[in-house]
Formats: sequence, structure tokens, C-alpha cells
Amino acid sequence: MDDAELLDLSLTDLSWLIAARKVSAAEALQATLTRLKALDDKLNAFITVCAESARADAKRADQEITAGNYRGPLHGIPVSIKDLFEMNGVLTTGGSKILQDWLPERDSTLVEKLRAAGAVIFGKTNLDEFGHGGTSTLSHFGPVHNPWNLDRIAGGSSGGSAAAVAARIGPLSYGTETGSSVRRPASYCGIVGFKPTFGIISRHGSFRGAWSQDHVGLFARTVKDIALALDPVAGYDARDPASVRQDSSAYAERLNENVKRLRVGVLGKFLDGVDGPVRDAFTASSKVFADAGCEIVELDVPEISYAAMTSMLTSSAESAGINRRWFRERAQDYVPHVARGIAVGMAITASEYLTVQRARHRIREAVRAAYDQVDIIAAPTTARAAPPLAQGVQGNGDDSRHASYNQSNLLRFPSMLGLPGCSLPCGIDADGLPIGMQLIGAWFADQTVLNTAAAYQSATDWHHRKPALVD
Amino acid sequence: MADPDKLTQRLALLEGGEFSPADLEAIAEEIEDNLRVVAELEEFANDTAWISHQAQPKDRKA
Repeated sequence: MDDAELLDLSLTDLSWLIAARKVSAAEALQATLTRLKALDDKLNAFITVCAESARADAKRADQEITAGNYRGPLHGIPVSIKDLFEMNGVLTTGGSKILQDWLPERDSTLVEKLRAAGAVIFGKTNLDEFGHGGTSTLSHFGPVHNPWNLDRIAGGSSGGSAAAVAARIGPLSYGTETGSSVRRPASYCGIVGFKPTFGIISRHGSFRGAWSQDHVGLFARTVKDIALALDPVAGYDARDPASVRQDSSAYAERLNENVKRLRVGVLGKFLDGVDGPVRDAFTASSKVFADAGCEIVELDVPEISYAAMTSMLTSSAESAGINRRWFRERAQDYVPHVARGIAVGMAITASEYLTVQRARHRIREAVRAAYDQVDIIAAPTTARAAPPLAQGVQGNGDDSRHASYNQSNLLRFPSMLGLPGCSLPCGIDADGLPIGMQLIGAWFADQTVLNTAAAYQSATDWHHRKPALVD
Repeated sequence: MADPDKLTQRLALLEGGEFSPADLEAIAEEIEDNLRVVAELEEFANDTAWISHQAQPKDRKA
């Protein structure tokens, strides 16, 4: 098997081959590092590459597997993580000048769990500074480029993770989402991005964007890969106050593609302003669900029209609280756009924040009632495919903070409410850019989301498409 | 902003950061926009219960 074939393997297939000792962890890592070296000047997806420690980890994994001590599906798998997860002794910048020399003295819970699973962490991915953005153009280390078209954005804030997986620089990456930072870049980069219910994966040891909305999420190319990679990192952690006590996770084992009689809700009123090709791809996806025996239910939840403004004000105020000390002392060291955003958050008063939380509660109750009518909500992930880099932070075009039936509300409500959500590829536009669809489940219906997404991938082949850059 | 004093009060909340006049103008515009957004949300959330973090007795379901 040559390097290109090896890198094209899904996590599921690579894992099987490593367990069977047909491919070594060292070989998988070397192919990944070679690809990274060849492409990252173009993509700028990585801030730090830890080749030396990764080689040692891969060697250890191979020795353990040879000795019969196989730890599970992530054993020996090359994995990257967003550069806001602490990793003992490894540069952790948050994409910021402020932390450009910071070497943490502990591992985040995510890193602890990945190490325990035998994963080989080879690099830390680029992002909008401290996760404040939706484009990955707001990094102190320069913008991330989209592998499908280097003049387009990868989306943010976990853009480096999404670009890496799309470019086959490792089959798996972990990121975070506060507003849309997993689902949006997954959509723009033509891969699967999943964020579980709030509290399923511990955030301990990761830099916070807005504590009441921050989630850890995953990027891979198939839903089965996501399920395999979710199992080892999910679980209660007392060090994260939002962590949820849950049954032992077995998402991969429980994956079931039978979605007959599943009620799929569509919020048709929110599709105004969605680009034609995206709307067409989504309509075709709805037909896939109908053909699989799902019931398509037209939903009307007008309260969601307040979701974007509520989410944005919440994260603005919370990020100001988080950054307050640095902002007072080192405002000039932030990326200017991020500094302005924190300044705006500083000016939100306590009573305004509480008013916003009251609105959030009303939206939560309305969405809770909607899940009495449906099992899952489907929607386009973004209103259009990846915008040009030249448009900068304005490119996404969905940052309206006023109530309306626009698509940005569909993007924002899941993370604001802590619902599980998955973006997966569902089309290609005339410019050759991927289009994404998101599936949103009720609280703790993570398995339903994964099952539905897996059923969609079984019936379609969009997830097999790849950028010309790696074809 | 209709009330310049109110804007001055808000800008005083920034606590730090040296911004250019253009930046300050952009920040002031966003603050003003936020005030309109909060007014919309206040009306929207008017009949909603205030949030509390009440725990339930251990042997009772919420």
C-alpha cells in the first residue's frame, strides 16, 4: 500500500489494519507527516507539529500491539488536536500572540484520554484566536486555507482541524465549538463534524471561548469514524463543572442505520436566503431520508429566530469575562478584530446578560417542545459554500444579530442550547466546493444523530469526494 | 447613539485597551447595535421565568 492509499483510509479501516498488524503505527504516522510537510505551506492548518514525540508514541503503540496489548480503535492512529487543548510540555497558543511561548505543565482531559487510548498526537491545529471567529482568518499565525480551493476560507474556529482531515493529514482531529466552530468548518471542508450534547466530553484543560456554550467536537470523514473516536473521549470528569454523569459510551457499537419511521423535522421558514445550490442539495437529502422510510415533518419554531442574537450576546459577554485580565494588560497583543469583539463584550451589563439568558431559556423550552413532534431536525449547515478568503470575517455573511428567519439562527441554536449536532457533506456546488447538511438531535440523543448521519452516508457517496489537492 | 453620555458610560466599562478613533467608532456602533438587540430580547423574553439553579432533593426526580 502506498502513502496515498494509506492516507485515504478511513479511521475505521486504518484502525483495523493496525490492529491486524498489516500497517504499523509508525508507517501511518510517517505517511501523515510526509503529507503534512508537502501541504501545510499551502494550508497553514498546523501551528505546532510534534513529530519527535509522535514517533516515540507510534513506536510504543507498535510494541504494545505486537505484544498483544491492543488498547482499542485509536491505538496507533495519528490524531491532531486544536491548539487550545493543553498538552504537557507542548506549545499551546490558542492561536494567540499572548500564549505564543506557553508550554503547559499538564494535559487536558482530552489529551489524557487520547494518550490512554494509545492515539498518536502529531500536531496542534490552527484556529481563530482563542476560538473567537468563524473563518480561521483571525489567528496570530495567519489564516487557514481550504483544501478544496486555497483562495477560500476553511471556516472557523476549528478550521485547521477541518482542513487537515479534508487534506488527509490524519483521519481524525478534535476541535471545539462555541457557536458553530465544528459544524461550519466541517461543512466548508467537505467532511463530517460532530459535537455531542453539552457535557459529554470534558473541556478541562482547554481554553474557554464562552463557558456555557463551549463543546469539544470531532472531525473525520465518516460517521462511523466519529463514533469510534467519540467512545474513548466521552465520560464524566469532575474537573469540568458542565460534565455529565453518563452510562459508559458505546456509540460505535450501537450504530444502527435503520432509520425507518424516524421523524425528521425541517424548519422550512429558515431557508430564506440560503443559496440555490445549497437549498437544492438539502432538498435532495430530504428525499434520501424519505426513501429510507423517515417521516419528513415541517416544523415551525419561531422562537429560533432569536437564537443567533441570543447566542452572540451570550458568547460576547462570557468571552469578555474570560479575557478580562489579559484585555486590561495586553489588549494590543490580540488580533485587532478579536480585541474589538472583547471590548464590545466588556460593555454588556449584568442585567443585559441576564435578559439574554431569559431569552435563551424561552428558546430552549420552545425547542424542547419541538422534539415532542420530531426525533431530529435537518437543515443546511451554512447558507453557502466556503466564501473567498479575500472577504475576511465578513465572508460568512450570516452574522446578523437581529431576529429573523435567516439561516444563521439554524447554525447557532444547537450550540447555544447544548444539542448534539453533526454536519456531513451532501453536495458539491458549481465551483467544486462542498455543501454540508446538519442533523440536530434532542439532548442526549447523540446516538440518534449518529445513526441518522450514518444511514445518510450509506445511501450517498458525497463523503468519498476529495479535494483535487489530494486526488 | 442617541445618548452620548450612555455611550461614554459603556466605553468606560472597557477597562483597558488603547483603540484608534476608527476602532472606537466601530466598537461604539456595535455597542449601540447590542442595545437594540437587548431591547428586542427583553420584549421576547418578557413572560419567561427568571433562571435559577435550584437543586432537587436527592431522592426526588426533578
